[in-house]
Amino acid sequence: MRFARRPVGLIASFILAVALCLAGAPARAALTFPALTGRVVDQAHILSPEVQAQLTAQLGALEAKTSRQLVVVTLASLQGDDIADYGYQLGRTWGLGQKGLNNGVLLIVAPNEHKVRIEVGYGLEPILTDALSNLILQEKVIPKFRAGDIQGGVVDGTQALVDQLSLDPSTAEAKAAQAEQAAQSGASPSARLGNSPIVLLMLGFIVFWAVGAVLGGGRGGLGWIFPLLFLGGMGGGGSYRDDDFGGGGGGFSGGGGGSFGGGGASGSW
Amino acid sequence: MALSLALGGCGINTIPTKRVAAQTAWAEVQNQYQRRSDLIPNLVQTVQGYAQQERGVLVDVTNARAKATQVQVNASTITDPAAFQRFEQAQDQLTGVLGHLMSINEKYPDLKSNENFLALQSELEGTENRIAIARRDYNSAVQSYNTELATFPGVLWAGTMYKGDKPMNMFGATQQAQSAPAVNFNIAPPGGTAPATTPGSAQ
Repeated sequence: MRFARRPVGLIASFILAVALCLAGAPARAALTFPALTGRVVDQAHILSPEVQAQLTAQLGALEAKTSRQLVVVTLASLQGDDIADYGYQLGRTWGLGQKGLNNGVLLIVAPNEHKVRIEVGYGLEPILTDALSNLILQEKVIPKFRAGDIQGGVVDGTQALVDQLSLDPSTAEAKAAQAEQAAQSGASPSARLGNSPIVLLMLGFIVFWAVGAVLGGGRGGLGWIFPLLFLGGMGGGGSYRDDDFGGGGGGFSGGGGGSFGGGGASGSW
Repeated sequence: MALSLALGGCGINTIPTKRVAAQTAWAEVQNQYQRRSDLIPNLVQTVQGYAQQERGVLVDVTNARAKATQVQVNASTITDPAAFQRFEQAQDQLTGVLGHLMSINEKYPDLKSNENFLALQSELEGTENRIAIARRDYNSAVQSYNTELATFPGVLWAGTMYKGDKPMNMFGATQQAQSAPAVNFNIAPPGGTAPATTPGSAQ
C-alpha cells in the first residue's frame, strides 16, 4: 500500500477532504432562504392578512385534492441573485412536492427587484410547461403588477395556477401543449421522457449493472455483490438533488420532493 | 449480505454511489442540450419568416447546431478531457450564436409579437436555465466523486476494487457566462442580469 509508506500523504488527503467538505458550496451557501412558515410566505409584506388567508385556503384545497404543493412566496430581496437561480434552490431547500412525485410549484414575487417567477418541480413540467408558465405571467400577473396592483396579480396568478393544476391530466396536458404548440412539435420524445428523474435513475442503474458485471466477471464471480452494493448506495445515488427538509411551523411542510430542475418562466415588470 | 453490510461500513459503496450520481447528472446535461437542439429548427424557421435579412445569423445557428450534434458523446466522454472539451466548446458556441439570434428580435416587432416565437422564446429561455442548473448539478456531483477517488478512504477502494474509475471533467464558467446574456430576453430592463447562465459557480 502506497499509504503505509507515506503517512504524510494520508494526513494531507485527510485535510484536503475536510477542506473540500467545508468548501463544498461556497457560492450557494451565501444565499439565505426564508422559513417555510405556511403555504403563503410573505417575506416582503405585500399581502394583506385576508388575502393570505384566502390563498392559504385555496392552496390547501389544491393539495387535498391533488397532492400538489403550490407555495406563494414574496421575497424582500433576491440577495443579488437571478430569480431563476434563487427559485430552484428555494424549491429544493423547502423540499416541495411529494417525495417521488416532485409535484411542487412556487410562485415567487420579488417586488423590490420587480421580478416574478413560476418555478416548476420536475413532476409537473409536462402540465406546467415553460410556455404556459410564461403565458400565465404575461397575461394574468404582469399586467396587474405594472398597474401597481401587486396583490391582485398574485391572486390572479395563483388562481390561474390552481386552475391548471386542478385539471385532470389529459386536459391539463392538452392545455399545456396548446400553449407551446410551436415548441412542442420539434421536441423529440426522448427529450421529454428523459426529463423524468426515474428514467435517469434507471439508466444509471443499467450502466452500473453493466460495469459491475464486467468487473465482477474478471474477479472470480464477485458480480453478485454489485446489485447488493447498488441497493445500499441507491439512497445516495438518486438523492443528490433531494432534500428531506421538512418545513415546520404552521402545520405545513414540504412533502420531501424538492426535485426542481429549472422548469417554469420568469418575467419582470 | 453480511459481507456487503460490513464492507458498506468502510465506504466501499461510496465510489459507485457517487459515480452513478455523476453519471445521472451527466445524462441530465445531455438531455437538456438535446432539448435545446430540438427547439432550434422551429426557431430558425419562425425567425426566417420575419427576418429574411438576418440570413447570416440563421446560418450561424444552423451550423453551430450541426457541429454540436456531430460531437460524439459516449460514456467515456466525461473521463476524457479532450472529448469533454470538444463537447463543451461546441455547446458553448451554440449558446453564443443562439444568444445573438434571440437578441435580433428587438428589431422586428412582428416577430416579437408572433405567438409561435413567444412560445419558442419561453421554451428556449427555460431550457437555457435548465442547462445551467444541470451543468451545476453535474459539477457538484463530479466534484464529490473526484474527491472521493482522491481522498481516504475512497482512495483505497479506488486503488483496489475500482481501478477503472477515473476522475471526471467539470464544466467551466468562462465562455458560457460571457456569451449568453441575451437569454434573459423577455422584458428585462437594459442591464438586467442573467447570472442563471453562470454554471460552475459551485466549485
